[in-house]
Amino acid sequence: MSYDSSSSSSFSDGFADPNSVPKLVDERFDFLTLNEPTELERNHRGNGNEIADGLLNPDRNDNGAEDDDRLRVEDQETFGDEGPSSPSSSGYAGGRGSSSATSPSRIDEASEIDDNEIQELRNDGSLEGIPDSQASSWVTGKRHVDEDDASISWRKRKKHFFILSNSGKPIYSRYGDEHKLAGFSATLQAIISFVENGGDRVKLVKAGKHQVLLYFLFLYTKMVFLVKGPIYLVCISCTEEPFESLKGQLELIYSQMILILTKSINRCFEKNPKFDMTPLLGGTDVVFSSLIHLFSWNPATFLHAYTCLPLAFATRQAAGAILQDVADSGVLFAILMCKHKVISLVGAQKASLHPDDMLLLSNFVLSSESFRYIEITLVVHLILVLFGQVLNSPILQLMGRNEYLDNCELKQSSPDSLHYLHGLCRTAESFSPICLPRYNPMAFLYAYVHFFDVNTYLMLLTTSSDAFYHLKDCRIRIEAVLLKSNVLSEVQRSMIDGGMRVEDLPVGPLPRSGSSPHLGQQTLTSESPERPREPFIGIGGPAGLWHFIYRSIYLDQYVSSEFSPPLNSLQQQKRLYRAYQRVYASMHDKGIGPHKTQFRRDENYVAQLHKLLFYSLHRLIYYIFLSVLLCWVTQDFEFYAAFDPLADKALAIKTCNRVCQWVKDVENEIFLQGASPFSW
Amino acid sequence: MCCVPQVLLGDVGTGKSSLVLRFVRGQFVEFQESTIGAAFFSQTLAVDDATVKFEIWDTAGQERYHSLAPMYYRGAAAAIIVYDITNLVISTNVKLGNKALKLWDSLNIPATFLSSCSDFCASFERAKRWIEELKAQGNSDMVMALAGNKADLLDSKNVETEEAKTYAQENGLFFVETSAKTSSNVNNIFYEIAKRIPRVQPSQNPAGMVLMDRSAEQTARASCCSY
Repeated sequence: MSYDSSSSSSFSDGFADPNSVPKLVDERFDFLTLNEPTELERNHRGNGNEIADGLLNPDRNDNGAEDDDRLRVEDQETFGDEGPSSPSSSGYAGGRGSSSATSPSRIDEASEIDDNEIQELRNDGSLEGIPDSQASSWVTGKRHVDEDDASISWRKRKKHFFILSNSGKPIYSRYGDEHKLAGFSATLQAIISFVENGGDRVKLVKAGKHQVLLYFLFLYTKMVFLVKGPIYLVCISCTEEPFESLKGQLELIYSQMILILTKSINRCFEKNPKFDMTPLLGGTDVVFSSLIHLFSWNPATFLHAYTCLPLAFATRQAAGAILQDVADSGVLFAILMCKHKVISLVGAQKASLHPDDMLLLSNFVLSSESFRYIEITLVVHLILVLFGQVLNSPILQLMGRNEYLDNCELKQSSPDSLHYLHGLCRTAESFSPICLPRYNPMAFLYAYVHFFDVNTYLMLLTTSSDAFYHLKDCRIRIEAVLLKSNVLSEVQRSMIDGGMRVEDLPVGPLPRSGSSPHLGQQTLTSESPERPREPFIGIGGPAGLWHFIYRSIYLDQYVSSEFSPPLNSLQQQKRLYRAYQRVYASMHDKGIGPHKTQFRRDENYVAQLHKLLFYSLHRLIYYIFLSVLLCWVTQDFEFYAAFDPLADKALAIKTCNRVCQWVKDVENEIFLQGASPFSW
Repeated sequence: MCCVPQVLLGDVGTGKSSLVLRFVRGQFVEFQESTIGAAFFSQTLAVDDATVKFEIWDTAGQERYHSLAPMYYRGAAAAIIVYDITNLVISTNVKLGNKALKLWDSLNIPATFLSSCSDFCASFERAKRWIEELKAQGNSDMVMALAGNKADLLDSKNVETEEAKTYAQENGLFFVETSAKTSSNVNNIFYEIAKRIPRVQPSQNPAGMVLMDRSAEQTARASCCSY
């Protein structure tokens, strides 16, 4: 506790000037306290020093260090932007004081160590007496010798992903041309091999024979290295995502690569260590970049579960029945999806499909325009003009292809014209080899992909490379049934008004569960006058509920509510997902175990300046970006909810119970029940 | 109606998909995304007094799909081998590419520079390799056409028409320079193929061409128009 005073002074410094160094140092410490014990921290610092001392060759050293510096500078700017100097910062300080009294001693210990680290780090930072800004400009100046303008923007990116081979050959980079990054890639390779060869001062986790994971924090930038046999994956990030999440993202990127090439790629490296993989991945940049985009936008990337399109039970049954019929005729998996949401899926006997595989497969299909093969904008535009529907619609301004189309389809078109659209946007059929990494990473399956409309598509997977014409027949049968039983039009309708909205949260037990074919129609219920006025005055749903995600553990499925005010901006939505991600990572921290009996509250404003921990029953609350996250993990489900920061805690918990009840009441519509090939 | 299973082969970015889309849909997209695996299209064409139904496999040019190409050309009665007359495509052929990479290793120059070294990056060279492969492994009576695509980009033309024409004649192909963008010669090439397909018998019912049975399929599809 002796460090308490010094730490709080550094906190207040941070508040006084959001761009000041201490704040960033605090932030750095916060990453660590979230994820790793302090020994890691020391190790990292040690490694950082060693690099700076020139253990690597000087040029490479410069590369690495400068990039980190640049990233950090960007970080600083960004947080300056993101973090409007908090009006409630004094309130937080007060809150912290009062709460620390109730904190268990373990937390105090942790914070002591952290505070200690902060002090040391500050010393490190000012080691050579160079103020931070000067240091970075000095570095930049030197950098200009061998870098062009393009690379400055490159280094300003907040999150980099790299794939390289163990000989240092670049395979994929999120930003920039892989071949031009050969030098940088060699640096990464050097770091990894240095650590592998006994650099014991960096956190190194060996998991199995061919998997090495190492991660460390260099100043304000997290670097995560994942070694998969001959393939190295690296993430350099100054976002606030925890190490565990970044590691999960690297795993997914690796799996995406396996999906395209299978693991037999390792054999190429055995034959020729200098093997160049880039030609093999030609044209798949878009698949990876779309996956990386999903990391911020699709909770499936960290929940390891999939989500279903809300549909009436009978509709989903109808779709499932015909898919089952097809699966019995020698199709391994039959999957009907709408964007990233599952309509129905069926697997052959004993075949199970992992949610991650589904995510990667749908990403692969959705990100490659070639599967759809239609110049949609023009067609739809013409049709809509013909039907006179475009008149005085705002969509004309939206000429972006998919957005434009979504809007056309979802908001403008009547079912009749939609049906007409089906006819006109007759898409091509594709047949492509793919590998399901969790099913069998060594072998190719063959995927028949057909889009019924721009969003709804059917994937038939088989082991036989000759099955195209059979699958084509299957598709024709499936399509006939889907049209006959109105599944496709129901799907369209669900895209428009389906989904759970927090405003619609019913009061008390749902009186007419299952009576409404669409969840969206329950709006009527919620707006009815008998709804008791909540004592809480705020925005969002009842009791200040803004958003929730419910993950069913048995079904491997999740349902998340639609975004509704005040979560309007993309920025807010992204932050919310990041917050969920953090909570998920901390809930699944191996140290604590899967079943939490903790109530953890993290008052977190922008840079997570304070952390206060409470232990209580079964629940975890996280204050992030002016919202409160509540997380509840049981054996059956995981529940995450975001509340207005002023929400009353007891009321919030009550609301969570109601949401869970609501989910159970409508589970037949939001989850794919039974006949699930997920067999574990 | 005669049914012609057909395949398009060629290097990455030569415009195979653009040709097909121009033929099937009459569309052209300036920045066509890479094909994944292969896409299947069908289109009917009236030739003289008969109707020909093309079943077109538009294959991906990437090297990783090379090993799958036999799957598509095995049953084909016709093939269009496409190259890019502007020739500015980096070949993804691994064997050719390795040469480039060795050079890259020794000189440590960015690989993009290599794209201007036309001697081992030419999509025309790649087209020749496809023709050799088809001759060795495809149907003996397959109708083959060589298409020099992107004829609208005359300014940056790098493969001489005469060179291609001579090569095509030597190998018994017919040769056209096409442009998916301006639509020049696109229909012609399919029309020419349709004329050259020996057609005596009407096509089989497509439902009868289930590919589950490999051996039956091979013979049936290869010869459905040539009996």
